[in-house]
Amino acid sequence: MRPPPEEYVSKVEKPGDFDEFWDGVLAQAARVPLNPETNYSELRSDDEVEVYETFYDSIDDVRIAGWYCVPREREGKLPAILTLPGYQGEPPIQKGWARKGYAAFSVAPRGKLRSNSQFNPGYPGLLTHNITDRNTYSYRGFYVDAWRGIDYLLTRDEVDADRIGATGGSQGGGLTVTTSAMRPEVKVGIAGAPYLCGYVDSIELTRTYPYEEINDYLRLHPGSRDEVVETLAYFDGINFADKITCPFVIYVGLQDNVCPPETGYALFDAVGSADKKFYAADGHGHDAGKHKIEHELDAFFEKHLKA
Amino acid sequence: MNDNRPAGFDGYWQNVLDELALYPPRVEVETIHIRNNESATMYGLRLTSSDSYRLFAYLSIPAGDGPFPAIYWVPGQGSVISPIPQGSASQLRSRLVAFTLAARGFRNADKPYAAAFPGLLTDGIEDPAAYRFRGIAADCVRGLEVLLSRPEVDASRVVVHGGDLAMFTAALGEGATHLVCTPGAFYRALDGAKGTDSEIADHLRHKPGSEPAVAETLSYFDPRWFAPRVTAQTLVQTAPSGGFLDKDGLSPLLSAFPDQPDVYESQQSNYKDGMFVEHWVADQLGFDAPILPEHWRD
Repeated sequence: MRPPPEEYVSKVEKPGDFDEFWDGVLAQAARVPLNPETNYSELRSDDEVEVYETFYDSIDDVRIAGWYCVPREREGKLPAILTLPGYQGEPPIQKGWARKGYAAFSVAPRGKLRSNSQFNPGYPGLLTHNITDRNTYSYRGFYVDAWRGIDYLLTRDEVDADRIGATGGSQGGGLTVTTSAMRPEVKVGIAGAPYLCGYVDSIELTRTYPYEEINDYLRLHPGSRDEVVETLAYFDGINFADKITCPFVIYVGLQDNVCPPETGYALFDAVGSADKKFYAADGHGHDAGKHKIEHELDAFFEKHLKA
Repeated sequence: MNDNRPAGFDGYWQNVLDELALYPPRVEVETIHIRNNESATMYGLRLTSSDSYRLFAYLSIPAGDGPFPAIYWVPGQGSVISPIPQGSASQLRSRLVAFTLAARGFRNADKPYAAAFPGLLTDGIEDPAAYRFRGIAADCVRGLEVLLSRPEVDASRVVVHGGDLAMFTAALGEGATHLVCTPGAFYRALDGAKGTDSEIADHLRHKPGSEPAVAETLSYFDPRWFAPRVTAQTLVQTAPSGGFLDKDGLSPLLSAFPDQPDVYESQQSNYKDGMFVEHWVADQLGFDAPILPEHWRD
């Protein structure tokens, strides 16, 4: 019998130079012009929603794709939502958010289709690509690509820069954590079944993919364990979480077979915001019981982005 | 509702199979050392399908003496093909041959054709002969043939698992003893697309005059017309009550199987739905209990 997930003590440790490392990455990113491109998609647009295929530049000269949706009928500035993608799936076109009155941007970080001509480690592969060096690890650029989605939204005249939210499930949940931590423009975040939080915990708590990629790597390269653990500490959402000061929701499934619920509790404890809420769905796996709280999540965004 | 099975249905698919037979699979096998574990070896396969298209597949073989029962996860609607599905217990590989296929256009089989997501579902949709899923269905059948050619596989216990393509595979191919199927976008496809943000809806809005041609193409892919050919013991997963793909909505399909399939209605929980399927498969394959991921165990 597993102990209750709320009693789990995470093994994640924060490196002493964590902030210094990421300040350096942000400084590198600041030197890269965004060069945004926004192309109307007649095929994907409809009577209610305009859809645009978008691109911008990120570090390492990688061109990043996305989908941008806005309601056709709008007055004044719009609140905006950045949606972050899961590990395997492609970023969806978020017409639903646009119908609710938001500008919605869905980003495809490097390695996703349309953003993979220069970087394509594949799936499985992304999670362990250059994992022994924090300066070359795949998620170094991947995180920046996601964060620059905020920069893209800030280029849009119709977006109210003071009303931007972030959300996603699984990897999108993990990216919601890091984006909300590193971009003060994010005024509210909702993270479902967050991945990339508690890496070193997860590879002991579960033997399922995608985390199993790390176990595969360590089985083949047992001498690299210390370097792997060192690298992952710089990328662990739990180590970003104290920087989150905006209202924040985390929801998890207590039978999540992909992202162990234990790590969700550890993450929630680490979130710095005083306005934070946690939903734990018993009887649910990686879906995290989202359909049961859909209205509450919508209301949370409305409260903080439309009030 | 379009209830018309195309008159040329059998001929259309016989042509697909006849074409496939012209291309020997020419399998290349390579060990993927990083995916080996204490209980199984992982191989990457390159194999040929119709039009000389080269596909990719993961094949995991348990350690020890076989033959072993096999499970074939047929491609879904995403670009990524995993060695085993995300969230499945890795220990499954200790007692099952696990096979996943990258059909044409999917990652690892995306040269020369790289499918777009969204975009694949409507690629060539106005011509049944040019529709991309015609070749993809052939690829899935080729995958079953290659799996069954392996001496490690116990041919009396072969599960095909997936969405509409799984049903196509079990119906068109030979050798599937069990089918786990969740009907999706191809079931009454035009009816299902209306009022949604689906790719098919986008296509019809963009080219409203194309609807008759689209309807004709999709009529060859409706699971209702495949079901009578399925001889495998079958589990159909339906959507929760109230949806287009719920048990009532699927009744024309469910009644089309030669033998009544087992039917499971989703409870909108990966855990509950997954548990049911894992138990069903384990039971069908003669195991005392399923091998579950850690967080599904008591």
